[in-house]
Amino acid sequence: MPDKSTTLSPLQIFGMVVILAVLAAFPFFAKNRFYISLANEMLIYGLLAMSLDVMLGYTGLLSFMHNAYLGIGAYIVGLFLIHVSASSLWLAMLVGVAGTCLIALPVGWVQVRTGGLAFALLTLAFGMMFYTIVWKWYSVTGGDDGLMGVPNTSVTLAGIVLGKTKDPKVIYLFTLAIVSLCFLATRRIIRSPFGAVLEAIRENEERAAFIGIPVRLYKLLGWMLACLLAGVAGSLFIVYKGYIGPITMSAFAGAGVLMMVLLGGMGSLWGPMVGAGIFIFIQDYISTKTEHWEIYLGIVVILLVLFMPQGVAGVGGYLKRLRR
Amino acid sequence: MTLALFVDITLNSLVLGGVFLIVAIGLNIIYGLSRVMNLAHGSLYAIGAYAGYTLVTQKIPFFVAILIAPLIVGVVGLVLERTIIAPMRKRSMIYTLILTYGLMFALDGLIKYTWGNEPRFMAMPAFMRETMPILGTHYPVFRLVTLLITAAVMAALMLFLGKTKTGITLRAAATIPEMVSCLGINMTHVHIGAFVLGCCLAGIAGVIAGPLTTIDPLMGHGMLISSFVVIVIGGLGSLRGAVIAALLIGVVQTLAEFFITDLAMVIVYMLMAVILAFRPRGLLGEGKFE
Repeated sequence: MPDKSTTLSPLQIFGMVVILAVLAAFPFFAKNRFYISLANEMLIYGLLAMSLDVMLGYTGLLSFMHNAYLGIGAYIVGLFLIHVSASSLWLAMLVGVAGTCLIALPVGWVQVRTGGLAFALLTLAFGMMFYTIVWKWYSVTGGDDGLMGVPNTSVTLAGIVLGKTKDPKVIYLFTLAIVSLCFLATRRIIRSPFGAVLEAIRENEERAAFIGIPVRLYKLLGWMLACLLAGVAGSLFIVYKGYIGPITMSAFAGAGVLMMVLLGGMGSLWGPMVGAGIFIFIQDYISTKTEHWEIYLGIVVILLVLFMPQGVAGVGGYLKRLRR
Repeated sequence: MTLALFVDITLNSLVLGGVFLIVAIGLNIIYGLSRVMNLAHGSLYAIGAYAGYTLVTQKIPFFVAILIAPLIVGVVGLVLERTIIAPMRKRSMIYTLILTYGLMFALDGLIKYTWGNEPRFMAMPAFMRETMPILGTHYPVFRLVTLLITAAVMAALMLFLGKTKTGITLRAAATIPEMVSCLGINMTHVHIGAFVLGCCLAGIAGVIAGPLTTIDPLMGHGMLISSFVVIVIGGLGSLRGAVIAALLIGVVQTLAEFFITDLAMVIVYMLMAVILAFRPRGLLGEGKFE
């Protein structure tokens, strides 16, 4: 039985502080700024994978193209910084997250009205729709070339300028702070009665409905929470990269996010974040070696589902069972 | 709109809807009989197209290729079913979806690896490259051939499911699998049969779509999404629903492509969203396997 308490035990707090300290100290020891960027990408995709886990692992809803909502968030923030105001980063991110939620709401409303399987198929169809729009709407999104020329803004906190977004160390620490906050907030939400309702829906939708839970409403809320977090990941993405192209929103990239969750283990929140780290690391390594990366991605997904559906987070459980 | 244009658009809609229909009905047969939603179906369709292309370049006549290519896809389907799909039957639906999604990328990658990225064009027999005058328009013969083949496949499928003993057993198995199993029908054979039949249908669609479009490694993705739209609008597992939805999507997509070209698919998605907002279980409801 996994730990369900909402408060953190002293040991957990200690562990988190150590992990956070190591992650925060990392850019000061990394010799190459490339590794800082890679770590930054791991954090952002970690947040995205965690947000997908809220749906997949806790609500039992499958979204094939969760990266579409990262893309939407990123495009909105990018367009805001380019066309409206280049100096107000916080406002841009707020607009980006709000915009993502606004777009995700009607899509989610249609999706939850259909059954669980149709839900999954529809995420693919709507995801492809957003991909097509971004790809073809050249005048706004830059089409195939992607959104370029996102200005270098300042990261401020309470009026104090902390640094420029083009500085890898500054943006890394900024990303780390936001991702950590999102993780703690999501962990708290998932362990509240609200989270318990989501898990009840995952376990048995009909029984959940019988005891009076408005299933559709809660599914929609789970979807909105996941899309909100994806929007946050998207705004971090554009600020860190200064660029976004339609490829980030493709079905292939969506499969990658799904694999991060599988690799890390569904329903653990931290597992998918670890999975994202492993995935980005492997992808960075393999994609330079071969152009047939998707064959390997596909085969690894198949093998994971067949033999290791619990992912890295389940390894502890396997070991326990072996020892018995 | 002139009469010629009207005829053109009508026939184009039928051709497009027909191809959607064959792919979508294959998906629906697999889903209806074994509760497996195969996301690699679009890739099997692409394999069908490439198999047809390769056979034709090996100087095998087009009409023979139409018969052989689906069999090749069927064999691929048989191997996949036995090795990786069958172990998933006892697991949650989510795992099957993720597994076949991985399979889709693996197959797409293998297609790219084998045939390369550049688009291919299928060579056709001379008479199919002509046009035929119909009501004031000159309509390409190969499109008419596609239409005829689609009609023949659908008629054969209807006869098979409606009149033969095997077909009736299959329909019964889709409705009450436990009962059919109790009557001594081996459900494993039904599952294998359904999967292979679905794959063969995807293969046929691939070959006849070959001359209509260019053959490229990504052709399966578009078709997969379109056939999802068809089966979700028609109702999951509903064969009649798929027919209605395929024709509807065929008409809408042809019209949208004719008038606004670039964002045609967006119109189709919007239509889907509107239909599902009012009929969340599809036009004919889920699971009517007839």
